[in-house]
Amino acid sequence: MNEHSRILEREKLDIAETLRDADLRLPAVAPREPFPIEPLTPDARQQTRAVGQRATRPDGRLHGLGQTKYIDDLSFPGMLYARIKRAGIACARIKRIDTSAAEAMPGVMAVLTGKEIPTNTFGPTFQDQPVLVDDHVFHAGDGVAAVAAVTEQIANEALDKIVVEYEPLPAVLDPVAAMREDSPKVHAPDSNIYATKVIRKGDVEKGFAASDHIFEGHFSTQMIEHVSLEPHAAIADWDANGRLTIYATIGRITLARADMARTLKMPMSRIRIVGTIVGGNFGGKNEITQEPALALLSKKTGRPVKGVYTRGEEFTSTTTRHPIIMDYKTGVAKNGRIVARQIRLVLDGGAYCSWSATTLGKACILSPGPYKIDNVLAEAFVVYTNKTMTGAMRGFGAPQVCFAYESHMDDIAKALKMDPLEIRLLNAFDESSPSPTGQVLHSVVVKETLRKAADRFGWEPRS
Amino acid sequence: MKQRGRGIACMWYPIGFTVDANPSAATVKVNEDGTATVLTGTVETGQGSLTVLGQIAAEALGIATDDVHVVSADTDSTPMDTGAIASRTTYVTGNAIWLAAEAAKAILFETAAPMLGVKVSQLEAKDRKIQVKNYPQRNVSIGQVAHRSQVILGQPAIGSASWNPPTVAMDPETGQGKPFATYVYATQIAEVDVDDETGEVEILRIAAAHDCGTAINPMLVEGQVEGGISMGVGMALQEEMLFDANGRHINPNLTNYIMPTSLDMPEITVDIVQGFDPTGPFGAKGVGEPTAVPTAAAVLNAIHDAVGVRVTSLPATAEKVLAAIKAKRATEQKQIPA
Amino acid sequence: MTDVTMTVNGQTRSASVPPETTLLQLLRDQFHLTGAKLGCDVGDCGACTVIVDGQAVNSCLMLAGQADGREILTVEGLASRDRLHAIQQCFENNGALQCGFCGPGVLMSAKALLDENLNPTTQEIRDALSGNLCRCTGYTKMIEAVHDAARLLREDSPAKLTHARPEVTAP
Repeated sequence: MNEHSRILEREKLDIAETLRDADLRLPAVAPREPFPIEPLTPDARQQTRAVGQRATRPDGRLHGLGQTKYIDDLSFPGMLYARIKRAGIACARIKRIDTSAAEAMPGVMAVLTGKEIPTNTFGPTFQDQPVLVDDHVFHAGDGVAAVAAVTEQIANEALDKIVVEYEPLPAVLDPVAAMREDSPKVHAPDSNIYATKVIRKGDVEKGFAASDHIFEGHFSTQMIEHVSLEPHAAIADWDANGRLTIYATIGRITLARADMARTLKMPMSRIRIVGTIVGGNFGGKNEITQEPALALLSKKTGRPVKGVYTRGEEFTSTTTRHPIIMDYKTGVAKNGRIVARQIRLVLDGGAYCSWSATTLGKACILSPGPYKIDNVLAEAFVVYTNKTMTGAMRGFGAPQVCFAYESHMDDIAKALKMDPLEIRLLNAFDESSPSPTGQVLHSVVVKETLRKAADRFGWEPRS
Repeated sequence: MKQRGRGIACMWYPIGFTVDANPSAATVKVNEDGTATVLTGTVETGQGSLTVLGQIAAEALGIATDDVHVVSADTDSTPMDTGAIASRTTYVTGNAIWLAAEAAKAILFETAAPMLGVKVSQLEAKDRKIQVKNYPQRNVSIGQVAHRSQVILGQPAIGSASWNPPTVAMDPETGQGKPFATYVYATQIAEVDVDDETGEVEILRIAAAHDCGTAINPMLVEGQVEGGISMGVGMALQEEMLFDANGRHINPNLTNYIMPTSLDMPEITVDIVQGFDPTGPFGAKGVGEPTAVPTAAAVLNAIHDAVGVRVTSLPATAEKVLAAIKAKRATEQKQIPA
Repeated sequence: MTDVTMTVNGQTRSASVPPETTLLQLLRDQFHLTGAKLGCDVGDCGACTVIVDGQAVNSCLMLAGQADGREILTVEGLASRDRLHAIQQCFENNGALQCGFCGPGVLMSAKALLDENLNPTTQEIRDALSGNLCRCTGYTKMIEAVHDAARLLREDSPAKLTHARPEVTAP
């Protein structure tokens, strides 16, 4: 039993006593005699020094009972089900969309295309993403049309009846290739390099010249999906005063309201966004996706409209983690002290910017690692490709660059025959160390974490 | 044959948005019986933020976690919040809630001071009471004060506040500036077994030492570390979205997108390293994202230690590890004199 | 239309549904038991796990018609009117659920395990949960919670939990 199990035992309510008489296989039906329901409140929630308590979560209780209502558990009278037709082609011009057969299907109440959306662009930094495509497809998961029907099955069948004529265009899938002048332009005529960042401190060339050893490393990471267990979902409904309510899985409802106001050209006071308990976010639910389309379908039909992404759409049509290509060059002194570090990052920025500018910035700032380095040059680029848009995902580039700088550190340690723990303790930040951007750091405990983890692990230096 | 190895990775991670304003606003209402309601525009996405924010309000008001009810996520009735992103909730929304609670408490102190015959500056809120500092025998229950304040004096104890981390914009040429108000630090050490005949990697255990400032709720911090490690394990060894030459998805499903199950998780020990931050609510910083940052590095360093190969592209699937092992053997054999 | 009658959480329930209706859709849409969740609809994630005649199954892979005449237990059937089930109590005490979406499925897999084996090893718990994907928790506290629940159930009423189970052909 580890330390935490021991702590738990001391604080636990004596459950055995309360369950003594219960036949635990009884179904959830009310017994005939009324008796008081005592909420089982574990001790920690009753303590009046509240900070530091291992307090249980009241929402956790509801989760365990299956009583939490996620969006897909909600339904309203007359509610319709929406589905979105996906392009299935990475780069194309749309010649024609014919929704007439779908509209004629019994049970289909409305169909929507991009042209009907008042402002058909959104994005936290650059508004380069359409809600539903206008006349150009930028990645295979793009939405080309939406339908609302009385059952999900009919909505699915209606998608097949929507006819779209594409003129395929050359797609670019590799970010390094996309940086070349002669590459197809994803958002022509703009360059595929849509944001850059530089951090420059000291003089890396002088630093390398003064180093005893120089090491280089090249690293790359993959595109990853958040895989929240709950797919993206939303319900849109209007009242007779023209007020829109959206129940959504979005983690940023203030921003969502601003985005809805902008895409639908409505005042914010007429928009209500309700965030339900979300079944996992990890960065993937931090901007609008289908909500403007659902709102317009609801307006057209006069009924609430629910849209729930399939698991497939979670992969094809929601944001992902940036693949990053990372080049590191580090100059060290004989004793393992880092003198200079030069870094180049190329981020695969997918079809739309989404949270890429933030990811670029964080990855660049964090890329030298938690180390005292006087001479730093970090250059980062994010590049459009015709793949799923890359956005916010737990860490915003930090896991990728940490993989690079810590692998690189071990390579250096091995070459210098130094213990990996020792080389890190030699170089890591102290209280008041300057960061690569010149910030004086406070509450710095990286060495404490190194020592604590090493102690817990049983890390002994090898002879 | 299985080879064992160990690998370290340490990291730093910022709290809040990069330079840009990312405020949170909050309202704390003390009910006439001394319990409280908190209004926050943040969204609970599973990390337990509503519980933690309730604990912060409770601590400020001197009441218990169970006395506080947190209402969230409705643009009609809760104040603006930049959102559950960038690990900012405990720090930024927490600070807003702390300030709002202090404002509500100030109204209670105004009411309590004449009740206890002392000045406002002599009061503190503790154990569901408003009491005199260093002379707790002179006290009155918070419920009595709240009732008198609202019902008798007509001054309901409601406080509202907002908070935004102080930053300095980064120079466009050099990037110099203060992009974040605070950072957290962590180390993870992994022990692995690598089968040098198949390339399969089994992660045996991970020792994780994480700084989150003050741990408002250590149980929830552990949950974040364990969950973050599971994402790190997937990133290190399994997950990859694949596209064909035409840019179409090859594995948009959970059958072929491999992610960690209960069988893939190592034994995890979590140590919370106290890195009290005076700029955070009761010294707290944040923990949501940092937990997923160093895992892949620690695992890949452990693979390197076990079989002497450096896999430089993720994920380190069995195929990649085996190919690297074979390539290393081939190089070594060439170097052995005939 | 297919007519089905089954016992759900101790009560007899009936419905008339299109033949392609899955047990998951039946439970959620017809019986309004929304605990079991739709995570992938193809049996990959386990969020739809319920217990059919004593065995944990992915209800998205079972047709409503196949459940006709069977005994179904969902998460809504675990607690009694005033008491949480030991598994639910231990999950709550350990903070084993975060977003909670996978929770009902995990709880039913754990229940099925403890019905068979009140003294599972850690590996046996991992095996029992291996069909339930969770993205939030890393499974660690779930495993601790199942150990705790097993201990409580062993101390409480070891004799009451024997139960003869018929053969089940569901996936």
